[in-house]
Amino acid sequence: MTPLDQVILFVVDLLALLAVYLIINIGLNIQEGITGIPNFGIVLAVAGGAYITGGLSTRLAVSLLRVQTNLDPIFNNIAVLHLVNPILRSQPPTAIAMLVLFLIIGSLAGALMGLISSAPAVRLREDYLAITLLAFGEILNVIGIGYKPLIGGPIGVNLPDIFGWAGQYRFYVGTFVLLLVAAAIFAYAGYLIKTPFGRTLKAIRDSEIVARSLGKDITRYRTTSILLGSLLCGTAGSLWVLYSGAVTPTYARFDWTFLPWLMILLGGIGSNRGALVGTVVFVALNKLIVYYKYAFVGILPFDIVWLNYLLLGIITILILIYRPEGIVREKVTAPKLNLSAANKEIQSS
Amino acid sequence: MQLVTLSTIVGWLTYSALLSLMALGVTLLYRTTKIANFAHASFVTVGAYVTYTLTITLSPNPYVGVPVAFVLVGVIALLLFYAVLEPMRRRNSSTVMLMIATLSFDIIMLGVMNIHADYLTNVYVLPSRNVLLSGSDFKFMGEPGLLFVALGTLALCSAALYLLLNFTTLGIALRASMENSSLSEAIGINVSMMLAVSWFIAGGLAGIAGALIPLWTLINPNVGTLLLASMFCVSIVGGLEQTYGAVLGGFLLGLVDVVGTSVLASLVGPWVAFYEPVIPLLVLSATLIIAPRGLAGLRVRRGK
Repeated sequence: MTPLDQVILFVVDLLALLAVYLIINIGLNIQEGITGIPNFGIVLAVAGGAYITGGLSTRLAVSLLRVQTNLDPIFNNIAVLHLVNPILRSQPPTAIAMLVLFLIIGSLAGALMGLISSAPAVRLREDYLAITLLAFGEILNVIGIGYKPLIGGPIGVNLPDIFGWAGQYRFYVGTFVLLLVAAAIFAYAGYLIKTPFGRTLKAIRDSEIVARSLGKDITRYRTTSILLGSLLCGTAGSLWVLYSGAVTPTYARFDWTFLPWLMILLGGIGSNRGALVGTVVFVALNKLIVYYKYAFVGILPFDIVWLNYLLLGIITILILIYRPEGIVREKVTAPKLNLSAANKEIQSS
Repeated sequence: MQLVTLSTIVGWLTYSALLSLMALGVTLLYRTTKIANFAHASFVTVGAYVTYTLTITLSPNPYVGVPVAFVLVGVIALLLFYAVLEPMRRRNSSTVMLMIATLSFDIIMLGVMNIHADYLTNVYVLPSRNVLLSGSDFKFMGEPGLLFVALGTLALCSAALYLLLNFTTLGIALRASMENSSLSEAIGINVSMMLAVSWFIAGGLAGIAGALIPLWTLINPNVGTLLLASMFCVSIVGGLEQTYGAVLGGFLLGLVDVVGTSVLASLVGPWVAFYEPVIPLLVLSATLIIAPRGLAGLRVRRGK
């Protein structure tokens, strides 16, 4: 590989990670930023999307493509994929249709996880909800490791190569699809915040009592918000495993709960643009840190991964103390009132 | 076929005593600072590594680590309070922001404990992950000494806490600031100081519980993280608004967890034991649906 290829691959990988985190952060921002639901367990929805996609994709591909085999899609994963992948490679439209199907399944799995984990506490105060969601966070890893038919136990499984038809440009096409989905979700979230639904969520966040006095069903809106946010996290988890082509039951709180929180804090909680800015700044900085910290390998008597924990923890605390509103302040939006029209209406009635 | 053996009961009592010690701190902090302290996970881990490190380097008696862990983790909790939470409190940060701060502190401590474990292995060539000290425990009446020490420590700590909260000026000031912090401030109680005291006590209790863990199970730098869901479950089952509810909750969750798993495993099959981490979540969900104020809340009726 030439140095130029390396740089391009570095950027492509960076953009893929950026897209996945952007989707998760938008999902988290809908919950925490817009509705005020402190979801400390978004790792559950991400893992839900990832594991269900990982577990079902090969099985579905075998049955939908009518591959004749007696091999088990999970336990003889590699052998089955040898039969599935050539078909997907030769039929790009089928592969794309399957990608859409897997994404829908992964998203629904994420939404379901959010619904299940929030159900016991959604009627209670926010601190109970926070504790419950955090407690549920890593439960799927226990199931993923223990129940082998899901994703093959601790070693994990590979997925059908959904972008295989692009040949050597596989990762470019994959990243492009990820960015496309992320951009669509970003636009949708920006629109959602301005709709009456989005404004109701904000009203609930700012004052539950006022929202209730206006006849809003708080529990239903909060549940919808968790459902929507978790659905997006599921989409992201699903996209990530389809892009990377493999899944293992190792989705941890640090990567998929703490980092998204750090990013939306960095960008500015409550602002959709803030979620974008926070994600871009963080992913770029973090990749640079990862890139440069290998200079320290062999000098320090411990694994440099842990320095990341120290550094990112300290950065988060500094943001919390010195700039809790983040880079982009939330814009206060109000519907434009047409006063003269309203006056006329009053006078005529 | 005997469903419940003596060793299951010993396991239940030991586990419950440790859980109660951890949850006492969680509940105390919830009552004083109004937040769920996510850093409790790493407080326990630090305690565990204090015992482990002291035992393999300096002293053959693993119980020497207990007082050291109490002080060290208490000081770490004070550090979290004074360096992070107090500046945020002065800037009127919301509860959720304070909770993220404790989560961030937990991440930092997780890094520190992993660095400590790597350091032990790489520099002193000592094992530091998946290690157990139950071999250096003493035996009393044929049972591991940990059983008696854990139950004794829990009894001692809850008695001390009870005496402190009910019979000393400091304790009364502490309870006053739990009930109504602005009113307490108005009559001249230094609420910030009271919060610091509660952080030191809660951290110390987590340190003690952590210090006993290497005698009970394998320790890793994430041993506390794995117990966090159970700690919160115990606090909620016992009632977040009742300090001593944690003791009750600890024995209940321990019963369901240890005895329940062992009974189910002998009835259904040994594979059930693998899903043990699901149990605290089921108990937590059931409690939140049936009695959101926890067991202690069932008796206390508050008029509104």
